[in-house]
Amino acid sequence: MPVVDVHPDELRQLTGHDDKSDQEFKDDLFALGLEFEGETEDGAFQLEFGPDRLDRLSVEGVARSLRYQYGDARGVYVPKTNDPDFTFVVDEDVPEERPYVTGAVIRGVDLDEDALDSLIQLQEKLHATMGRKRAKGAIGIHDLTMIKGEVLREDTSGNSITYTGVDPQGDTFVPLDGDREMTPAEVLDEHQTGQKYADLVGEYDRYPAIYDELGLFSFPPVINGRRTEVSTESRELLVELTGTDQWTIDRMCNIVCYALDARGATIEEVEVEYPDRTAVRPDFEVDTKSVPHERIETMLGVDFEAREVVDLFERSGLDADVNVDDARDDAADQSDTVYEVSIPPYRVDILHPLDLVDDVGRAYGFNELEPRYPNVGTVGGRHERSRLEDAARASLVGLGFEDMLNFHMTSEAEVHDRMNVEAGSDYLGGGDPARITGPYSEDYTILRTWALPSLAMVLENNTHRAYPQDLAEIGLVAERDDSVNTRVRERRHVAAVLARHDATFEDAKGRLQALCRDFGVELETPATTHPSFIDGRVAGVRIDGDDVGVVGELHPRVLVEHDLELPVAAFEFNLDALR
Amino acid sequence: MRLPESQVAVLNAASATDEQTIDSLADETGLKPETVTQAAFELRDEGYVAVSEEERVEYDLTDEGREYVEDGLPEVRLYRAAVEAGATEDAVGMGQVIGASGLGGPEVDIALANFGRKGYGQIESGQLSADADADAEDDPESVVLTALEAGEAVVDEGVLEQLVSRNLVERHEQTVRSVTLTEAGVTLLMEGVEAAETVDRLTPEMLTSGEWEDVEFTEYNVEADAPEVNGGKTHILRQTADRVKDVLVGMGFQEMEGPHADADFWINDCLFMPQDHPARTHWDRFALDVPPIEDVPEDLVDRVEDAHRNGVGDDGDGYHSPWSEDFARAIALRGHTTSLSMRYLSGHEVGDLEPPQRYFSVEKVYRNDTLDPTHLLEFYQIEGWVMAEDLSVRDLMGTFEEFYAQFGITDIQFKPHYNPYTEPSFELFGRHPETGELIEIGNSGMFRDEVLEPLGVECDVMAWGLALERLLMLMYGFDDIRDVHGTMSDIELLRETEVLR
Repeated sequence: MPVVDVHPDELRQLTGHDDKSDQEFKDDLFALGLEFEGETEDGAFQLEFGPDRLDRLSVEGVARSLRYQYGDARGVYVPKTNDPDFTFVVDEDVPEERPYVTGAVIRGVDLDEDALDSLIQLQEKLHATMGRKRAKGAIGIHDLTMIKGEVLREDTSGNSITYTGVDPQGDTFVPLDGDREMTPAEVLDEHQTGQKYADLVGEYDRYPAIYDELGLFSFPPVINGRRTEVSTESRELLVELTGTDQWTIDRMCNIVCYALDARGATIEEVEVEYPDRTAVRPDFEVDTKSVPHERIETMLGVDFEAREVVDLFERSGLDADVNVDDARDDAADQSDTVYEVSIPPYRVDILHPLDLVDDVGRAYGFNELEPRYPNVGTVGGRHERSRLEDAARASLVGLGFEDMLNFHMTSEAEVHDRMNVEAGSDYLGGGDPARITGPYSEDYTILRTWALPSLAMVLENNTHRAYPQDLAEIGLVAERDDSVNTRVRERRHVAAVLARHDATFEDAKGRLQALCRDFGVELETPATTHPSFIDGRVAGVRIDGDDVGVVGELHPRVLVEHDLELPVAAFEFNLDALR
Repeated sequence: MRLPESQVAVLNAASATDEQTIDSLADETGLKPETVTQAAFELRDEGYVAVSEEERVEYDLTDEGREYVEDGLPEVRLYRAAVEAGATEDAVGMGQVIGASGLGGPEVDIALANFGRKGYGQIESGQLSADADADAEDDPESVVLTALEAGEAVVDEGVLEQLVSRNLVERHEQTVRSVTLTEAGVTLLMEGVEAAETVDRLTPEMLTSGEWEDVEFTEYNVEADAPEVNGGKTHILRQTADRVKDVLVGMGFQEMEGPHADADFWINDCLFMPQDHPARTHWDRFALDVPPIEDVPEDLVDRVEDAHRNGVGDDGDGYHSPWSEDFARAIALRGHTTSLSMRYLSGHEVGDLEPPQRYFSVEKVYRNDTLDPTHLLEFYQIEGWVMAEDLSVRDLMGTFEEFYAQFGITDIQFKPHYNPYTEPSFELFGRHPETGELIEIGNSGMFRDEVLEPLGVECDVMAWGLALERLLMLMYGFDDIRDVHGTMSDIELLRETEVLR
């Protein structure tokens, strides 16, 4: 979940609530769903929240939410914008993998250190979330005064910049934190930031690039050029975003513009000229959705009057129109009331009218609701499989076994090599395991094919503990099996080991017999071979005529492999046999 | 009167006038000293004898001391050889005397050191001279050693100390107990006592023959520790799971069951998780190297894809994210058991469900988290949901308050939260019953229309989940889950772990 650093002093300044204590802010923020996780060295709150309200990824957005919560602001707010002066021309050479661009011009900015830090943080946080680590959308912010716009056409006075594609070995520029001219390919090879994001564009024939009259100045989504670097001295900014989805970058752009507007800047539109169409950005269009009054009441379990609901919407930064003329009359029947709710363009989380009901609930205060136990009767019960497993576990514990719980993930070395079993053999445990694609650790590469190897590992890790060690486990084992719908055959196995100085076949079989007696099934143990066990001291477990497992004395080779210095008798079989 | 055999023997042997030690009573009765001691204490407790205690010091020869009784002290042997070699007249070469004495090894140093100390002569520049007046044959240390060997009493404390420091004698302190008959004891004897047979173990023969009626059972030291016994025990995490299942079944929940390896379709797509959601990237899940799922209900796939792309309802919007059926069909280990909820809600597990319904599971899930004391790659998730007409957030709150109250967690707070699959969503916080701290105890919400509509569910469903391990740690004070779950488990810790109640 995203974490945003917000300094309480800045919150006081931006909300105008100078008198709020740190603790009051923390409580108010918790009510908004922002959890206080800790403090930075300079006293900023580290706030964690769900990745829905991405407009709160900066102190400006958090302050805006607080102002609504405090009732200082109401309803939808849309910043005023000036008409476009700049044009973003999208060239036909733009890489087809990253065709979209948007942006804005920002004038009259006065960035102190805190505001600049906040802007950079917002940019990074948006990259990490909506931008999907810049793959889906990336933001570049530039000092506008360092950009020399080209005159677009003779008949216009406008300035333009061009979003296009560049040959990886083509034009050069000095990247941020760089000290020399580099080609885009060199940036990916040699520059620290370039290396980090190389995978995003490495496969492209032409790399995304933005030009002004002076040449290449930005290499999205990797890095900006040093020429247009933003500082506290910057008074005018150019914001550009490129990505794989227009809606996504437009919304990211809106969140940035709202934050700068909160700092007193003026937003100026830009024209985006695609080969086949033209658009004006940023897109501050207000969306609407219809929310029935009844849905709000049933979802929250509270009876509302229409004017209360409208008030709650406005306190959430939304506007609501009511479809019924007399709906605001307290006595009115609200069964047909529907709210036409306006949604400001920085909200990226409203997919469905339900999301607006949630806003009403938050504004009302969910913790104000009186809990009630739902008045519906149902009959509870355990699943047959889990009842069987518990019954078998109770029998094993009664026989003196310590009940173990091991991981289902392990390695082929553990289930095969170290147990002396050849992979792909017909022996119990020898089956083809379900392998993890690109495993992260060599200890966890497959699902275990049988359970005895896990118990052998527990014995191996407890040789310093008192004997006898009688251990049992009932748990999942799995094999790859393409005839199963999910391609993995999952079974529950019963496995047990008796590690004692005088352990013999009979110790294992005796307990197996007792277990089978508990479940009223018939046990036979025909002689067999299994490479994990000593020949002549191993038998198949045949229950009610089905071959379901193996019982015997573990082979010395297996014991020595696990650093065990005493005999171990063991059995393992399919739990379903006890049904 | 009947008394145990040993007590009768001690009574008969004891005297009212002379103290007798335990050892002498043992000699006289032919019983072991410890048996006599026990009998004496038992008689004393009845008032028949008095037992007095005296601390005694005894000296025993060490092996070395016994050797010297036999061979003579090394310095005495050296003196004899020196006299023989004429060292009482003129100094003789040391090597010659030692050679003649037959001393060897460490004995030589011992001899030389004590030779000087006792004034038997002098050693200068390798020449040894002996004092003709020395009385080595009556050496006091020799005399005492010989007396101790013969069991005679020795009173010369100085010489004894010297011998202790030479490690030829060991000093022991011992409590010597002596027994005398009391008046009650004398009276009892005059009235006559008979010996009752005492037995160590009750045998089947005694029971069948009736002999048990005439025997006394020897008393055990019932306060002493018995040898360790390790019985079997249900794993602590299983016990916790059983406790949770008990509570949920009691609240009317049915248990779900389903595959650990499943299609992403059931694990994520049905849950309205966009395919480019960070939790669906390679790093967070365990994809399996197997072919895609063979069969998913095609009409359901279409509806789920439509929900992702276009949303549901007149005013619904979809995600601005890519969606592909291939990705949905890929098999992975489930990252949550909500995949089971999806299977059940879809009607493909146990048939179409009519409200009301309550379902739960306490099953394993797999996540590539950072390993730490509270996180493993595999853990148990408690998952539950309630399906009914017109459920509200208040019903959700009431259900969870009831559930957590069963574990002593009260004062539940609901923090508004975001999940892609529920709205409204809440993180649940509660007061730790011991520390009073506000702690996160679960995640919950009402399933979104985008989840329910494609599944064909036309009423409300509220759901919640939390890690079983978290409950174990909070309620029962475990602090490192790695000690009990997995092949690194410590058997000793499991044996010592208290059971839940």
